[in-house]
Amino acid sequence: MKSPELAQVTRRLPILELLLCALCLWAGWYHTPAGALVRSVGAWLFGTRSTARPLLAYFGAGTLVPPRIPAMLPGPVPPAQALAYGAAAVLDASPLEVGPQLRATAQRLGSDDAALLAMFCGEEAARYALDEARSPALDDLARALPPRSEACVGRAAQAAMLGGAYALGWPLPESVRITSPFGVREHPLLGAPRFHAGVDLGTVVGTPVRAVGAGVVRRASSDRINGRILVLDHGRGVVTTYCHNDALLVRDGQRVDKGQIVARSGSSGLTTGPHLHYQIDLAGEPVDPLRFRVQHPRTAAGPSD
Amino acid sequence: MPGNVAERVAWVAERVGRARWIFLPLGLCALVAVGAHAAADVVGDRVLWVVDRVDALFDAVWSSWSFTAPLVEVVGLTQRTWFARAVALLWELAADALIAVPLLGYEQRDPAAEWKLGRELLQRTRSPLRLVRPAATLLVAIAGACSVARTVQGSLHLALHVGWLASLARAGTLVGLLVLLAPRAAFRSLELARTSRYRAAAAVVLVPLMIAAVLSFR
Repeated sequence: MKSPELAQVTRRLPILELLLCALCLWAGWYHTPAGALVRSVGAWLFGTRSTARPLLAYFGAGTLVPPRIPAMLPGPVPPAQALAYGAAAVLDASPLEVGPQLRATAQRLGSDDAALLAMFCGEEAARYALDEARSPALDDLARALPPRSEACVGRAAQAAMLGGAYALGWPLPESVRITSPFGVREHPLLGAPRFHAGVDLGTVVGTPVRAVGAGVVRRASSDRINGRILVLDHGRGVVTTYCHNDALLVRDGQRVDKGQIVARSGSSGLTTGPHLHYQIDLAGEPVDPLRFRVQHPRTAAGPSD
Repeated sequence: MPGNVAERVAWVAERVGRARWIFLPLGLCALVAVGAHAAADVVGDRVLWVVDRVDALFDAVWSSWSFTAPLVEVVGLTQRTWFARAVALLWELAADALIAVPLLGYEQRDPAAEWKLGRELLQRTRSPLRLVRPAATLLVAIAGACSVARTVQGSLHLALHVGWLASLARAGTLVGLLVLLAPRAAFRSLELARTSRYRAAAAVVLVPLMIAAVLSFR
């Protein structure tokens, strides 16, 4: 039997239930692809403009949107300054101004990713995210922040991505020439215009191929088109790919260091001769690897894919 | 409207109670949708890993014959991240269709009667396959409650700059959702378990989601 006090409480429960349901609807509306779908359909029906993100952008910390890459590097990027260059590119500011500020914030917060988040979302948000997140990685920090932070988190993710790309090295000696550039070109074997998602570096069979940055082997496999292929995930939405190798020296899931020999170049797959196809993807979009280098290797006719 | 505050609150509660038939089903559906997203998002990297493995396997198979070799490029190097996220999205939307949307048909009862009926249904539902949906709904609803509570805390903390108040609001929201909404979602799913169809297919979608939901608890 219910006591009178319990009966009093249960009589008031609908108010609490309404509040909880409203919170669930608010979180679902702004935080889920299903909510974005409903918002987009609603906007379409009523002829208004939806503020919902693209459905796939609800996964990860906004790393699905590739950043706008500055056309030219102002000079060599010191490895320790790569993140500052990334942040400066997104902020349209000078790396010389952004660098010291970013370094000081990173020292205060104890994390580079948190410092980037502080730069775009404010230090209080970054401190809160650090306290609440599972790890100091940007993806986890972003998950700890409320929906209204999504725009600044997206910009921080883009800065981290650019910083990650600026810190990359080069897979072969600098003297190796480019035999096929990035972009649309006449395919040497198929004859039709095709988009070339990386650069081809003409080299001899057996040349050591080095990891351009620390990361994890996401794929080490073989097929008829790409030959022996290696994909390295460097985190922060930066992925590099090395195709047409003669031998792969690392396994799936293996952690590699920057400069570690990960493969020997070759002519496996669909090629006209020995070369390395080197590709950088930011947020799943291929970008020209030369955009992240000050000294461009010379180009010359030679083997390609 | 009555005079004193207690009576006024009771008067408002009574009127709000009349609208439960609309806001409770919507709230339950949203709670499970939030949980399904929290679960799908937390295993995004693992989905990408699975897509990479499957893609590598298919590429090796297509490479066996020259006439199938061009199929290697169907999911090329550049489409894999997009493809992995599309798989995560489809998985989440399938889960929404299986366990969140049916909650829109929730009919309110007295909580005591609901518990009694729930126990009876549980005793009568012997097939493990039939129990997958209610179990998944409960776990995903808990993941949703954690996610909503975190969002409330984050929003309050950054808006009011009062940490203890935000933590208190998180705890209150979590307890409220776990006591008042999550059991109802599981109960409604249990009600539907006896008549649900495509149970094996649903299990393929929901069993990994249950694991992902547990991984997202915090």
